[in-house]
Amino acid sequence: MQYTMFLLIMGVALILQTTVLDTVSVGGIKPDLVMLVVVLNGFLLGTREGAFLGFFGGILEDLLCGHYIGLNALSKMAAGYLAGAAGLRLYKENITVATGVTFLSTLGGMVVSYMLLLYLNIHVSPLSALFRVSIPTAVYNALLTPLVFGRIFRYIQIRSREM
Amino acid sequence: MRWVTAKRIFFFAVLIAVTLWAMRTTVPEKARMAPLEYKFRDALSPVQSGLTWVGKKVSYWISFPVSMVGAAERNRALEEEMAQLKSQVIQLTEYKLENQRLSELLGYKQVMSQDYNLLAASVVSRDSVSWFGTVTLNRGSRDGVKENMTVLNPEGLVGRVVTASFTTCEVLLLTDPRSGVGCLIQETRIPGIVEGTMGSSGMAKMIHIPNNIPVEKDQVVVTSGLGSIFPKGIPVGTIVSTKNESSGLFVSADIRLYADLSKLEEVLIVTSVNPAALTGPGGES
Repeated sequence: MQYTMFLLIMGVALILQTTVLDTVSVGGIKPDLVMLVVVLNGFLLGTREGAFLGFFGGILEDLLCGHYIGLNALSKMAAGYLAGAAGLRLYKENITVATGVTFLSTLGGMVVSYMLLLYLNIHVSPLSALFRVSIPTAVYNALLTPLVFGRIFRYIQIRSREM
Repeated sequence: MRWVTAKRIFFFAVLIAVTLWAMRTTVPEKARMAPLEYKFRDALSPVQSGLTWVGKKVSYWISFPVSMVGAAERNRALEEEMAQLKSQVIQLTEYKLENQRLSELLGYKQVMSQDYNLLAASVVSRDSVSWFGTVTLNRGSRDGVKENMTVLNPEGLVGRVVTASFTTCEVLLLTDPRSGVGCLIQETRIPGIVEGTMGSSGMAKMIHIPNNIPVEKDQVVVTSGLGSIFPKGIPVGTIVSTKNESSGLFVSADIRLYADLSKLEEVLIVTSVNPAALTGPGGES
């Protein structure tokens, strides 16, 4: 995916994330669109690109918040790398596989995020962190995968043919 | 190990170390917003404000047909409730007048509307991740908003301002794990600290409550004003359940907050507190 296009998509995802997504939150949990874009790109492009795009998207998110700069960058980098590693071993053209990878990679990213919160002396109960934030966010992202995976997959195929 | 691999590992280690360092140095309590961040947030706020408005409208129009089901029944129930409330308002007005007279007699000067100067603000955006509970409001330093100002809504306490740029400010909600508010149980006057548990939850936890006086469900928790940036007596929530703390000397309680922080739209910022409000009976502070 071209980096300018990625930057544009990230910008849109970030603005949606901080505004209208609250209207679709369930029990206070909303999907993590930035994570979703990072994970699907990482899955299709590989570990290096996944980690880079994750770090890049996460830093943008951190800069928008203006504090704890690096928290989202590292967690999304981990998620992008995990998705990339899965993409090297699994069949990429299947939406069910992509959905499963999104769930596990998002969960992995959330666990890294939780560990970084501990590093920052922000204490959240581990059970609450797992069952009230990490798993619900991973499930929400996985449910959105079938809606966006096809478009990203086709875009990357077209771009690779053009190059 | 190949030279290229070693270089990559070194680069990766440096990147992680620098990022961890950046994370520590940008902790909100220690850091001040850089001019670039001010400009970034101010420039983005009109877009976010517009999108939030669109989101609310879309949500309204989607839920409107559903809300029409049983509307006639609800309308009748509401009319009955309104008639009851009217009589209650008359009764409460009587109580209010009586209370004011008694307050004057006792030297109390704590009538909410006379105590605070309030500034109305709308929520422009929310934190992008579910861990934290922060919102951005459309009021900033040009409106006189400063750090540590209390934010509330008609239901109760919402949080406090942590940073203020020219046109916006960021509010740390009660549910955020970094939030802590000195509170007390209204009936028994037992003190404790209300801490956030997670941004996405509608709950908070009151900790360090001495266990010598029983704490019961549905008791009301209000701000204590003691050693706190929050004015005294603002409703916070009700106790849902209690649990013994590991030390054995204290109990902790789960609190359901009065203010629905997941659906915040408009809030009030306490820009100043009437000095009389800080003075207790007989001039005590």
